[in-house]
Amino acid sequence: MRFLGISFVSFLLTSIVVANAYYQKKQFYPSVVYITKSNPSMAVLYIQAFIGVWILGKLMRKIFFGQLRTTEFEHLMERSWYAITETCLAFTVFRDDFTPKFVALFTLLLFLKSFHWLAEDRVDYMERSPVISWLFHVRILSLLLLLGALDLHFILHAYQSTVTKGASVQLVFGFEYAVLITVVINIGIKYALHSVDLNSETPWDNKAVFLLYTELVMGLIKVILYVAFVVIMVRIYTLPLFAFRPMYYTIRNFKKAFSDVILSRRAIHNMNTLYPDATPEELQAADNVCIICREEMVTASKKLPCNHIFHTSCLRSWFQRQQTCPTCRLNILRTPTPPTNNNIPGAQANQVPNAFFNVFAAAGPNPFQFQNQPNAEVGANVAPPGPPPTTSGSAATAPPAGENLGNGAGQAPPQFMFPPFPFPMPFMVPPPPPPANLAALSEEELRQLEGNERHNVEARIQCLRNIQVLLDAAVQMMQQYSVATAQQQPPQRPPEANSTNSEAANGSTPPTNHPTSSQQPGTSASSSGDAGDSKKEPPIEITSATIVNGVSESLDENSTVTAEEELRRRRLQRFLQNEQQQPN
Amino acid sequence: MAGSALRRLMAEYKQLTLNPPEGIIAGPTNEENFFEWEALITGPEGTCFEGGVFPAKLTFPPDYPLSPPKMQFTCDIFHPNIYSDGRVCISILHAPGDDPMGYESSAERWSPVQSVEKILLSVVSMLAEPNDESGANVDAAKMWREDRSEFNKIAETLVRRTLGIPLRPYRAVMANRDQS
Ligand SMILES: [Zn+2]
Ligand SMILES: [Zn+2]
Repeated sequence: MRFLGISFVSFLLTSIVVANAYYQKKQFYPSVVYITKSNPSMAVLYIQAFIGVWILGKLMRKIFFGQLRTTEFEHLMERSWYAITETCLAFTVFRDDFTPKFVALFTLLLFLKSFHWLAEDRVDYMERSPVISWLFHVRILSLLLLLGALDLHFILHAYQSTVTKGASVQLVFGFEYAVLITVVINIGIKYALHSVDLNSETPWDNKAVFLLYTELVMGLIKVILYVAFVVIMVRIYTLPLFAFRPMYYTIRNFKKAFSDVILSRRAIHNMNTLYPDATPEELQAADNVCIICREEMVTASKKLPCNHIFHTSCLRSWFQRQQTCPTCRLNILRTPTPPTNNNIPGAQANQVPNAFFNVFAAAGPNPFQFQNQPNAEVGANVAPPGPPPTTSGSAATAPPAGENLGNGAGQAPPQFMFPPFPFPMPFMVPPPPPPANLAALSEEELRQLEGNERHNVEARIQCLRNIQVLLDAAVQMMQQYSVATAQQQPPQRPPEANSTNSEAANGSTPPTNHPTSSQQPGTSASSSGDAGDSKKEPPIEITSATIVNGVSESLDENSTVTAEEELRRRRLQRFLQNEQQQPN
Repeated sequence: MAGSALRRLMAEYKQLTLNPPEGIIAGPTNEENFFEWEALITGPEGTCFEGGVFPAKLTFPPDYPLSPPKMQFTCDIFHPNIYSDGRVCISILHAPGDDPMGYESSAERWSPVQSVEKILLSVVSMLAEPNDESGANVDAAKMWREDRSEFNKIAETLVRRTLGIPLRPYRAVMANRDQS
């Protein structure tokens, strides 16, 4: 209402000014000259022009957007405020060019900018509205085309002006419209993605990925534009203060998009490669509802190392935000690789042949016996890598038993499948802490500590390999050991006992005093060895030769020396295999 | 296919209407836009907010439930954890990573496991037990710590205002209720 009043008054004033001029001069050209010479008249005309723009804006808004939502309006006001301040700052740089035409161009820029913002908000709204009418599509498409064409026109205009007349304020306009056209492209891509999603019958998993990459690419283009603009401005005029705020936000957004892409890629890679698909039994047990979308999980769900199950697509979009388990906040990027075979014992029991139980029932108590032992002991016996095994010559000296371990996978009878570890998550051991007294180290030592030259990296890889070899050896030990115990002792418990969970098994069964002391660390460490190993290799099967070997070994309870020798030989063997598998 | 955010909000709305928690009503402001909700929260019994009905609005982001909604009371409310413009400041509404106050542990933060119902229930318990370390409303936090009776008096005035009844009849009603 107030706006109507103002525009009416303005229109009245304009009419009076024009009528007065015409009344005094009686002819067209003298009247025009009269008006342009008179400051009050010009002021009235400027106000009229401004109100004209305002009315045009309202009209366009009605055509392209209909009624604005409250949030859209608030957004618009907030952004306009910043844009006006920045425009005022820009005026200070170009005070020599300060002409009505200049003001008009800036007004036009602001005018077009506001429509870009509105279009952006409107397209974001697509995701929120249950009903998108055809009118919406027509409006958005025509608006995007119009804005794109206008932006392009002004860019070309600015370019030609700069080429023919040299650098001027047109530089700023060219740059601003270039930024705006990236906005139009961004909105267009989002619109296309949302439309495809709306029209598809099933949820579109990859949309979030596309959005993420769009954000990244557009952010990069904008950052380049801003940097180029600032460099040019500094060389020709002065520091463009008015561009700093948007530049700061652009760079920040780009940085965020970049780290989002990196982290989510890592998390999603982990998810795709390491985490097992949930089995129907597990889904049943987890009451079948994905906690992220509150919808039923039928297919395509993944189990995290913490045993929480989600839709693969839901997890993927969550990992783009954060790399934690939504339920228990386990940081999955900091968690060691989970075992791929830690299925629920009940589910596992249905799948394995009967012979398995013999092994499992007998071997069961012992692995769990060590579960509660402090990690320090594991570390003391296994973790220090010691001297790296030499590669040359040791292959020839490796005993046949060791060879069988590596090569016999294909011929092994299935009943000797290694029993999977049923306890859910014993590997959440944090990575070793850095030396506590970092402050005591000198600058030089610190630099050495984090050195990134080639030999440092190589040394690290070497160290990791050594650890892996040790862990592999521990797994082998454990396998032999469990097989051996299975051979020695008849099963003492019915197979049903294994269906209970690991805690029950751990608590209820008394530890036997059978194993030799040298084998204990290997047993307890085998869980983490399994963790490191599982992503590359299927459960290892054992040939009869190794079993015999293992039996004789565990029969000989006092010969720890023999066991250690054996272990060392196997380490060497494993190490060689690793060398072959992963050149570099 | 509608967006997953929309489907989840619809599911939560259905759940809230079928199975409403005590003292809480919530739903979309209009059925065309499921991303703006209104909620009515009754003050928890046995606290200075008892008997009050506090309207609030919830604004959901397009990527809900990956990002948390925002909540703002639309009535006057004086509370250590509520800004003077009505915005609610509790950890469940903050995504891990943004910590306006710098003391919240990430365990209480937003994750898709949370829901509108859980948010509203935490707000109810926040009304009952303010966290006076939060700096959302410093005056209220100070008064809560140092001058509880004055705080209660203000709360009572606000409760009265939300119900639109003058002080004396309200007290009479409350007295009657206590007797019966
Ligand atoms: Zn889901
Ligand atoms: Zn979890």
